[in-house]
Amino acid sequence: MRTPRAFSIIVLLLGLALLPVPAGAVDLKDMVLDPGGLKPVDSTLKVRPGDKAPEFTLPGVLLGQGGKRLVHLSDYRGRKNVMLTFVPAAFTPVCSDQWPGYNLAKNLFDEYDTQVLGISTDNLPSLYAWAMEMRGLWFPVLSDFWPHGAVAQTYGVLRSEGTAERAIVIIDKRGVVRFARSFNINTRPDLGLIMGELHKLEEEQNALPAAPGRP
Amino acid sequence: MNRLATAFVTVLLLAAACVPPALAANPKPGDILPDPEAKVELQAADAAALGLPTGAKSLRLSQIKARALLVEVYSLYCPRCQATAPKVNRLYERLAASPQAKGLVFVAVAAGDTPYEVEFFRKKFQAPMPMVPDSDYVLHKALQAVGTPSYFVLKALPKGKGLKVLFFQEGAFEDENAFFDQVLRAMAQD
Repeated sequence: MRTPRAFSIIVLLLGLALLPVPAGAVDLKDMVLDPGGLKPVDSTLKVRPGDKAPEFTLPGVLLGQGGKRLVHLSDYRGRKNVMLTFVPAAFTPVCSDQWPGYNLAKNLFDEYDTQVLGISTDNLPSLYAWAMEMRGLWFPVLSDFWPHGAVAQTYGVLRSEGTAERAIVIIDKRGVVRFARSFNINTRPDLGLIMGELHKLEEEQNALPAAPGRP
Repeated sequence: MNRLATAFVTVLLLAAACVPPALAANPKPGDILPDPEAKVELQAADAAALGLPTGAKSLRLSQIKARALLVEVYSLYCPRCQATAPKVNRLYERLAASPQAKGLVFVAVAAGDTPYEVEFFRKKFQAPMPMVPDSDYVLHKALQAVGTPSYFVLKALPKGKGLKVLFFQEGAFEDENAFFDQVLRAMAQD
């Protein structure tokens, strides 16, 4: 009885050695889920240029600056223009998403006195891990997870499957929407288009008569 | 003996269950890739560096005047590409100065990036190589939609028969010397 059992175990071990070994390196493009072609836009914007931007408070992560914190849109009122960048989901192809580009373009956003706020409907730990994978970002990444997608819903960028659109909303220092568009979810908005909008906004702001100074 | 058979069958079943799902394979040396015409907006200096007429509105990689091409597929939006940009610049300068690399043309193909985005990247990293905005992913698709950054050494086959892969690497290179040598070896092979 003993010998055959030991023999079986040896055969089993030998067999295990023959199991296909996963390749050492997985191709980069296979590291993320390919969602395939999605319906380009699956919601209707609820904000338009000239509207007062709906106020919100969301938990976010700002790497290197104390981790988790609450961000209110009104934090920037009177100080900075704000660009909301809604994206569908964390861990969509990191090499073809938008935020690393905005990360690199910090100097351009600074020139236009604009704070970027990234928003997705993912939970905070996932967003944190994603931001780390992107080697950190200079702007806060906000989690519109619970109540699920409430801010995205208010702005009219919540898709029927619960993710956000790939949308850009530019809000001026007075809290007024100056640009809002849901882009085709399958492609990236052109950075040139965004900078063009920020440039327009700056020119309009410069053209305004200066606020009367204090006596 | 029965147990032996059972153990053997168990192993076979396990093996079958562990086979990874079929993934699209990356290119490898010897593969022939398609050479489609992509609509591009090239800077005059880039067109000149690639031996194309100024104001050319389209491009096939095979039209670039070269013995072989070193193609970097990258994107402004790829953090790994940003991080490795200074290394890639050094590689370019080194190849440009190397007599052994005569006839090798380095071209960066910006997968999905617009001309504005290419210019922004060029300025940010002072990238010295010719850059091609592949806004519609036409070249990226022909290059098998590889991850970024990726590097190819390619040779155009005569009579528009496509592009032969002499070397392929997906992901940033660590060792600059080893990579430089690999590129030269790939080029010399042909």
